[in-house]
Amino acid sequence: MSVSNLLENWSKFRHTHPVDDKGHEDWEAYPSDIKWAMAIDLDACTGCNACSVACYAENNLAVVGKEKYAHGQEMHWMRIERYWGEENGEFHAEQGAQFLPMMCQQCEAAPCETVCPVGATNHTEDGLNSQIYNRCIGSRYCEANCPYKVRYFNWYNYPEQEGAWPSPMEQQLNPDLTVRTKGVMEKCTFCKQRTYVARNNARNEGREVADGEVQTACQQACPTGAISFGNLHDPASKVAKQWAQQGVDINKDKQDKDKEREKIEHQDKEPEKALRGYRILEELRPYPSVMYLERVRDESAV
Amino acid sequence: MSKRYLLALYNNFDEAEKVVSELRNADIKGFNADEDLTVKSPIEHPEVEEFLGDKPVKIQWFTLVGAVMGGLLAFFLISGSQAGFYSQLKGGKPIVPIPPNMVLTYEMFILGGVYITVLGFLICAGLPARRSPLYSAKVSEDQIGILVKADESAAATLKGIFAKHKALEIQEEAGR
Amino acid sequence: MTKDIREDIAWAQINQDVLKSLENPRKLYWVILFGALLVFSVGIGCEIYQYINGMGVSNKNNSHVWGLYIATFIFWIGMSHSGTLLSAILHLMHADWRKPIYRFAEAMTTFSLMTAGLFVAVHLGRVWQIYYALPYPSERWVWPNFQSPLLWDAMAIFTYLSSSVIFLYIGSIPDFAIARDNIHPGWRKKLYSILALGWEGTDRQWRNFRITYMTVACFLIPLAVSVHSIVASDFAMSQQPGWHVTSFPPYFVAGALYSGCAAIITLFIILRYVFKFEEYMTLPILKKTVRLTFAIAMVWTYLNCIEFASVWYSHDQVAKDVLIQKATGPYAPFWWAMIFCGSVVPFVMMFKRFQTNIPVMFAVSLLLNLGMWLERWMIVAPTFSHGYYPWTWDHDQWPSLIQWGIVFGSFGWFTLLFMVFCKIVPSVSMYEVKEMVYHRSQATKKKQLGIEGAH
Repeated sequence: MSVSNLLENWSKFRHTHPVDDKGHEDWEAYPSDIKWAMAIDLDACTGCNACSVACYAENNLAVVGKEKYAHGQEMHWMRIERYWGEENGEFHAEQGAQFLPMMCQQCEAAPCETVCPVGATNHTEDGLNSQIYNRCIGSRYCEANCPYKVRYFNWYNYPEQEGAWPSPMEQQLNPDLTVRTKGVMEKCTFCKQRTYVARNNARNEGREVADGEVQTACQQACPTGAISFGNLHDPASKVAKQWAQQGVDINKDKQDKDKEREKIEHQDKEPEKALRGYRILEELRPYPSVMYLERVRDESAV
Repeated sequence: MSKRYLLALYNNFDEAEKVVSELRNADIKGFNADEDLTVKSPIEHPEVEEFLGDKPVKIQWFTLVGAVMGGLLAFFLISGSQAGFYSQLKGGKPIVPIPPNMVLTYEMFILGGVYITVLGFLICAGLPARRSPLYSAKVSEDQIGILVKADESAAATLKGIFAKHKALEIQEEAGR
Repeated sequence: MTKDIREDIAWAQINQDVLKSLENPRKLYWVILFGALLVFSVGIGCEIYQYINGMGVSNKNNSHVWGLYIATFIFWIGMSHSGTLLSAILHLMHADWRKPIYRFAEAMTTFSLMTAGLFVAVHLGRVWQIYYALPYPSERWVWPNFQSPLLWDAMAIFTYLSSSVIFLYIGSIPDFAIARDNIHPGWRKKLYSILALGWEGTDRQWRNFRITYMTVACFLIPLAVSVHSIVASDFAMSQQPGWHVTSFPPYFVAGALYSGCAAIITLFIILRYVFKFEEYMTLPILKKTVRLTFAIAMVWTYLNCIEFASVWYSHDQVAKDVLIQKATGPYAPFWWAMIFCGSVVPFVMMFKRFQTNIPVMFAVSLLLNLGMWLERWMIVAPTFSHGYYPWTWDHDQWPSLIQWGIVFGSFGWFTLLFMVFCKIVPSVSMYEVKEMVYHRSQATKKKQLGIEGAH
């Protein structure tokens, strides 16, 4: 009966994530062995857009065409943002652009999840923010509440649109996942079709998923290796090491190092050596799973 | 003994009040003023209740039960389904979050209250009703009707009382 | 001051005058009905086009995921609130001047909620799956997400709509009985016989009626407040700058009462002319409604200022940017138009000679509603154009004609429902006007007796 279930497991059901995960190890839904996470080194990013193209190929993203793109109805799960140096309200193109690859941050406490009226987007046990296409009714509340605006809506029936996959590109559609119909929200999945294969293989062979065993399409395509991806719960993985090195903790809305730095800055002293790791809009408490490494190059250098 | 129905129409509440008080005070065999007396009026008039004597209204109990049941049903249905088979973490919030559930409980509290109150109204007011044996459209216009049910023997006495107070019209019909 | 209603008006006359409205309105009635049908069909056409082609034709995009549909949804929900104000709040306060005008205000509540409901469907990307949002038991144990403010909305609107329909119906039962007794035989007589439920105005019926009516009125007041608070929660519970404001619920409720009162003035003037209700919808009643609207307008203006002030003096730079964007960006003309229509135009209502001037009040009420519609749009759109993430700022988006067409069509739908209702159900409550006349004449009589006694 649901009432007895409610009473028996009350503490489980009143658990907030990820803030008070401690003391709830027995709970089957979380934490699991796996928490997928990413680190992106902006110093290494050249803005070549290979990741974005790879994402189109891997995830059956429709090419919407110039006109719809201009209307802001594009479908790129992975976008390269381009920022110019700015001084006194003027842009300085000669300093070169700065690039930032942006995709779904797979927040641990995602603002998009709570607001979906039908529960089409949920937190999965491997630490992702899932999107269930069949369940989605297209209220678009998730995108409205997403601070990063990284969700993409099927404004038209793109798969049937002419030129969505100009021939012979329809031959390379990925059979491991679907195409999406009109009226459905979609977004980056951290290449779920790949992580699930790796997890199944590992389970069949009775072992843990090894670091580097699964690569996301963007990571694979990146010529400078700016993207690393892996299991944050495996202390030996590259991602976990990077996060630890940079002093970024997934469960905090303000990192200790930032508190420390603010304290020093308050005393008008120069901080000695700043760590580069940061998460975007961390202060809104979505607990994003992607850490960016700040650019080292001085902005005003020509 | 066979029953007779009498309907008398009056111009205003004051006249009707006099008739009713006389009927209630008079001791007529085969006529019980508490049960066999009905006043029909075109408007809701609290004084009618006063001169007819205290008659309890039980709708509040329907309201109470409906509202409480609605609220309880909402809370347990919602919390139970959240904690069900497909319990999913959303936005780091608890599986059974109290504030949203209270919002819905509040709405269902009102919904249950309103629905059951109306059900209570239909039951207590005896609606939908068969039309009573004597009815005049004047009652929905501007006149006050007094309908009595009495033994045949009392009919004449009652008619006398009605006529004494200058009834505009007296209708009579054999009862079922 | 002239009286709200003639006290010597005969009760039979009231029946006659009101029942006449069911039979022969002025020609303008048919013009309005036909016009509404045309406008509504424009909306239907646009919706069919959008249904076939996808939401993209409304020219929304990945920054502006919500648009006029949500803004107009709030507008219609808001309009519904004044029906409850007149019929429930003023009922409990024994303000009897509401009696001739509350019935159509209640109808306005019901039909504007129905119109708002349409926008939920129009807004959805996959409207054919709308039943996913209903909490029905399925063999897969899948339930909607009860945490979502949209679901609270659905629940609140369902509760509000069904309660107002019930309230409207219960309140009309005695009038249905009148119509049953007086109308010539035909399908209408049969309809009224069924709707009247065998009402005969017995003391037992009235006694229970009074308690029920009061109880439902008591429920409706907190319900109406909660409905618009929940609509406000759609925004206030989200994280976006410009929306995440604690004062949104009271602000929305005030705005709702405001636009509703303005709409009541508009419909008051139309019904008064079309159904020849000059005896019942009198100028003193209009004056009282106008004064009430003015008071609410000032409450709204105050809450508006509070909202700006709390953003301005907070250290939330992003929210501040949105506010600056509203006042100076591409939306500035609309934003200032909203301030003008919502806070400046109502001052016309301060002047006594305008309070009963029908053409002026008609124009003012339309302007107020324009202002309130703009308000809702200015809540929804600027946040999308200038949110947290600078890369997604989009200051150029403009709703397409399809979107405007559906918004336009909704006015046709509302007018259509409302006008059909007024032809079928007595839009002035006959029995309550009788009560009003009765009590007022009694009071006058008492006063006269008192004066005579003093001499």
